[in-house]
Amino acid sequence: MGGSPVTLTSILILTSMIVVALLLWVRHDNEMEESSSRGSTGSKWKGVPDSAPRAEFVSRIFSREDREFVVLLGSPRLLRMYGKERSAVAVDWARRTSRDVSRIMRRHRLSSRHSRNLDVATETKLLLQYLRLRFICGLLVLLIRSFGPYALSDLAAYTSELYQGIGRMLPEGSLTDRLAAADDTKTY
Amino acid sequence: MSHLAKLITMNNAYDDLVRRTLSGIPCDLARLIYVASTRDYNSGMYHHEGLAARYGAESTRVALRAAHKDIFYKLVALPLEELVVELETYVRISREAPTGFIHAWQELEPYRVAVPMEVDSTMVLFFLSNIRLALEVLQLRQQHVQERQPTSSPQRLLGR
Repeated sequence: MGGSPVTLTSILILTSMIVVALLLWVRHDNEMEESSSRGSTGSKWKGVPDSAPRAEFVSRIFSREDREFVVLLGSPRLLRMYGKERSAVAVDWARRTSRDVSRIMRRHRLSSRHSRNLDVATETKLLLQYLRLRFICGLLVLLIRSFGPYALSDLAAYTSELYQGIGRMLPEGSLTDRLAAADDTKTY
Repeated sequence: MSHLAKLITMNNAYDDLVRRTLSGIPCDLARLIYVASTRDYNSGMYHHEGLAARYGAESTRVALRAAHKDIFYKLVALPLEELVVELETYVRISREAPTGFIHAWQELEPYRVAVPMEVDSTMVLFFLSNIRLALEVLQLRQQHVQERQPTSSPQRLLGR
């Protein structure tokens, strides 16, 4: 077992590199997403209060029931189409959740500058939750693209809960209010 | 008119719409298309002569908008299998030949205009995706039906 400290260090370094790469990728992904939405002027649903969908809707996106129905029909073409369609929706949801929470946190950071009674413990917890959510959203996108959404319903439900949890930790107002407020502060 | 009176009128308009008009339509997809058809393409405003005469234009608009969203949310919440049943029912009541109907819907995507305004964009994406899948399922079933029919069948030649 002489080599185990070296192996452990290698694993730690590798894990850290993966985490950093994933965070950088998520950031890049979101920047690309934001710049593309800035560029598109013809979006039909522009100006819609873009709050992340409710938990029950999330379970519909990641539903195994629909996949089982499609599998039973026995058409490889339909199954391929289903995988492609459902993955696109699931990726959209994960990206949006990540983008929405970033907007909320940006807004919170701006309003915190004027606050005189910041609770350091709460703020630290909030930051950690935020980083965790961003990381999981990035991971979800990666996993959806690799394996499809149907095996990820639990992780998606956890992500949705985490998102709602951040809303509860913020001093006042619902997530939707915060998103609407964050919309007002957009620079584009 | 006071705020409370307005609310009561809107509520009455909504009840009337659901009870007298929408309940007579056999499936939610047809209800969605019907309510969407009362919306002006250019302004996005809803119009319904009969309801407006009874409850006023504003209450009618609010009632139609609310009903539109309610039906949309119901359809989004349906499992794919049930959405296929909705679509089958809609094809049947449209009295169009299934093959032609499926082809037109796949090419023109008319269901896109049936989406209400100001709803969650991921829900819209999900709904449109599910309709595309449901159409594909219907097409597959239609192909199976045609394979079972004899080649000389006049119905097949007519696409029915």
